[in-house]
Amino acid sequence: MISAEHLTVTLNGQEVARDVSFWLNDGEMAALVGPNGAGKSSVLKALAGVTPSAGEVRIGGYPADKLTVRERARHLAWLPQTRPVAWNLVVEDVVALGRFAQAPAPFDRMGQADRAAVCEALDKADAAHLSGRPFQALSGGEQARVHLARLLASPAPVLLLDEPCAALDVAHQLDLMRALAAEAAAGRTLLIVLHDLELAARFCPRILVMQAGALVADGAPEAALSAGTLADVFGVRKNADGRLERANR
Amino acid sequence: MSRLTLGLALVAAVLFALSAIVGTAAVPVSDALAALAGQGDERVQAIVWELRLPRAVAAFAVGAALGLAGAALQGLLQNPLAEPGVLGVSAFSALGAVVAIFFGFAAVNSFAVPVAAILGASVATLLLVFAAIRGAGSVTLLLIGIGLSSFAGALMSLALNMAPNPYSLADLVNWMMGSVANRSWADILLGAPGWVIGAALVFLAGPGLRALSFGDETARSLGADPARIRLLVIGGTSLLAGASVATAGTIGFVGIVAPHVIRPFVRHDPQRLLIPSALLAGIILMAADIAIRVLPFQQELKLGVAAALVGGPVFIWIAARLGRASA
Repeated sequence: MISAEHLTVTLNGQEVARDVSFWLNDGEMAALVGPNGAGKSSVLKALAGVTPSAGEVRIGGYPADKLTVRERARHLAWLPQTRPVAWNLVVEDVVALGRFAQAPAPFDRMGQADRAAVCEALDKADAAHLSGRPFQALSGGEQARVHLARLLASPAPVLLLDEPCAALDVAHQLDLMRALAAEAAAGRTLLIVLHDLELAARFCPRILVMQAGALVADGAPEAALSAGTLADVFGVRKNADGRLERANR
Repeated sequence: MSRLTLGLALVAAVLFALSAIVGTAAVPVSDALAALAGQGDERVQAIVWELRLPRAVAAFAVGAALGLAGAALQGLLQNPLAEPGVLGVSAFSALGAVVAIFFGFAAVNSFAVPVAAILGASVATLLLVFAAIRGAGSVTLLLIGIGLSSFAGALMSLALNMAPNPYSLADLVNWMMGSVANRSWADILLGAPGWVIGAALVFLAGPGLRALSFGDETARSLGADPARIRLLVIGGTSLLAGASVATAGTIGFVGIVAPHVIRPFVRHDPQRLLIPSALLAGIILMAADIAIRVLPFQQELKLGVAAALVGGPVFIWIAARLGRASA
């Protein structure tokens, strides 16, 4: 469970997210959508505690600013939009870092349970066959799946994902969304920044729409992605075939 | 302990024994080995225990400290070219030592030199990390390092000019070239606190260095506090480099070469890099020190010069490979 109340994020003197309030329950899977620059990533960063913000964030009922860096990591895991890896680590060690708050060891020095969790996460992300490979030798899509495995390896009950589908082919995008739905079914709370509205509507029972730093819609896909929102926020409309096309403004 | 660490420790042990045998005084191998075991001629025992072993221990400790500091700084700055010598940390440390000596603080308290050297090192490290936080990339940091080195050189000359009781230029040159010749157990004891505490701080930062591979923000979200890691590494490397400079002057490049060689053997893990890099750098410096004792030069080659003769080209090679990778 995670909630934000009057969350405001200021970057270089500019409010990139303004007075954002919402509440996600255990087992809920929500998409956070909006045009470029709407403030989606900033909200995720503020929730993850990696950027300063005003307002209140509560994770699992606790005020987040009362948690230490490590306690927060136990409650919440974040997959950033840009994912640098400085050294050519092996795949298992990248994924093992997902459990850093519990077990700050490289894969082969972890306990049995932690290692099993890493292997399971690799499996879920369809990356088990990549273990043992040096990270920098992987393709962009393979790297994205290893990062996803890193996130899933965390035992945190709240998962925040920023554009997890980027760099993935269509089949892997569907696999990814199914894997995430399974995590929600298992009781985890997920907030996922997505650009593909159809993918969002298909897999996420709840959609939060941001525009110019504000939360402008929140609800089931049909309600949150109404014709009005599509036109006002995204500048698109559904044509007769149900496909999105650019609206004439 | 990994097999790599064990192997390196064995090599180091062999080199310690070799250090007892090799030197300018003509001592038969069997006598030197007997002296090492505390037997035989007292004169030979004195040569081995009071001259050769302290020198070997100093070379190993200085090398290991620089290797450890290099590996830790590389992990912190995510830059394989980082090292106390290249980044100007050693030069600032030498500046601290020179000030302590030439202005008479060293005469007041024997810990003045190591403390001043550690303070000098921390000034440079703080500047570098400040630049890194402000977003300075690899090239900028190296350029700042070059600037810091030259600036420290100029300040050392200035210190010499202004010193109330200047020594000869040869003393300054000694500090800038680096050597472990004629080091005693007392010198090593002066450096020991810096090495031990510095190493402990760096090891505490070890797991965090691996998390830092993902950058500051993600590391923080994983539960590793970047500010704490930076503090540990700055404190640790300043102590390691400062104590080393106080013992042996500035010796460059060992801190780059050792981690670079070790990295593929530890799966490029910044934490597991630390101990083997320290051992290898200690081995390199001990081997270099044995080599310069054996080389038939009239004037003994300075250890810092020998290290730079090998390390400089290796540095250029790594930099060229990096340039190609990022091009």
